[in-house]
Amino acid sequence: MLSSALRRTVGSARLLVAKGVVRQPAARAFSVLGPRLGEVNTSMIGPGAKPGTIPDDIEQATGIERAELLAKLEGKELFDIDGLKITAMGTKKNPIMVKSVDTNRYVGCSGFPVDSHETIWLCVEKSHEFDRCPECGQVFKLDFVGTEDKGHGHHH
Amino acid sequence: MKFQPHPYHLVEPSPWPLAASIALLTSTVSAVCLFHGYSHGGVILTMGLLAVLSTMGLWWADVIREGTFLGHHTLRVQRGLILGVILFIVSECFFFLSIFWAFFDAALAPTVELGCAWPPAGIQPIDPWEWPLVNTILLLSSGATATWSHHALIAGDRKDALLGLACTLVLALIFTGIQLYEYYEASFTISDGAFGSAFFFGTGMHGLHVLIGTIFLTVCFYRLINYHLTKHHHVGFEGGLLYWHFVDFVWIILYIFFYHFGGGEPPIIKNSPWP
Repeated sequence: MLSSALRRTVGSARLLVAKGVVRQPAARAFSVLGPRLGEVNTSMIGPGAKPGTIPDDIEQATGIERAELLAKLEGKELFDIDGLKITAMGTKKNPIMVKSVDTNRYVGCSGFPVDSHETIWLCVEKSHEFDRCPECGQVFKLDFVGTEDKGHGHHH
Repeated sequence: MKFQPHPYHLVEPSPWPLAASIALLTSTVSAVCLFHGYSHGGVILTMGLLAVLSTMGLWWADVIREGTFLGHHTLRVQRGLILGVILFIVSECFFFLSIFWAFFDAALAPTVELGCAWPPAGIQPIDPWEWPLVNTILLLSSGATATWSHHALIAGDRKDALLGLACTLVLALIFTGIQLYEYYEASFTISDGAFGSAFFFGTGMHGLHVLIGTIFLTVCFYRLINYHLTKHHHVGFEGGLLYWHFVDFVWIILYIFFYHFGGGEPPIIKNSPWP
């Protein structure tokens, strides 16, 4: 009873969205509302398990989890969450490049070789030509790899 | 396609944290009202507990949607979730530690009021070699069938995974049934001094955890039937198994100390006022 009523409501909501009567809100209230209103990217869906079997992770996974697993299959890491590897002192000519999808990123400099001085936190900015550690003068530069439009309206 | 540049799951606005706060406050306040004899305390407590249970159900249903159907649970997120379960179980360990502390405080140096004896004078404890032994075997076997189910899942054997988990659930239900029967047959009650209080507090809390574990594994069973669980991504099942083995472990300690050390033959007291 309830589920059929729910299905009818969701169905008519979907119809309204399709007709453009109701615009899908950019920020959605509940995590499940998106998929219910048809926000599904088909390229990110696996074949699923064959009946009567346990699926492999890659058969089943979807969304960002699938992207991560597909990258691993290619021998790559989708997410770069390791610390900066500093193999030489950053200079004006050869600065330490700091990859960032945002227009700024915080970096802790401990000099060269690493741990030569107390960690000093710098905000490396996209608009700056370069940023320097006030202690040892090491040079950092933002390597901007994102897009200016941050999309979802998250501000973290 | 726009990607989040990190593997973490930044959750979206959800009504459940607020709902849980309201439901829990209602439950605690109405429980106090009930205990102090205010009118309708029981009715409001029932509503509060129902609200807690439905919030838990709806919240975890959202977690399943986010993890299984939306793919937000990357490897890093899965690791965090399991860590959360482990930390929760650690807190449960300390909860049971406090119960055992209360038991040993009363049992190791029994006071004059208890007849300077443990089991206290006049108490007829439950024979550990009867139903409690059966329960021990049942619960240990359920741990084994749970592991069977888990290994079958990892090996991709759906039939065995389902069968193992079904056996676990049946054993769990028989355990609960026997425990209820034992409560019904017990010659002492929770109000029979330190022995009754410690015994029913300890075994009662354990029984409650068995019930919660059974529900946890039942959800896993449902999700296994519905192809939610894959060979290596089954955080909910892993959590349920960890919880189940924890409950198993607590029972062993309970069986040794509450039933054997603290139970056994009642002391013989000369000129006892009790028949």
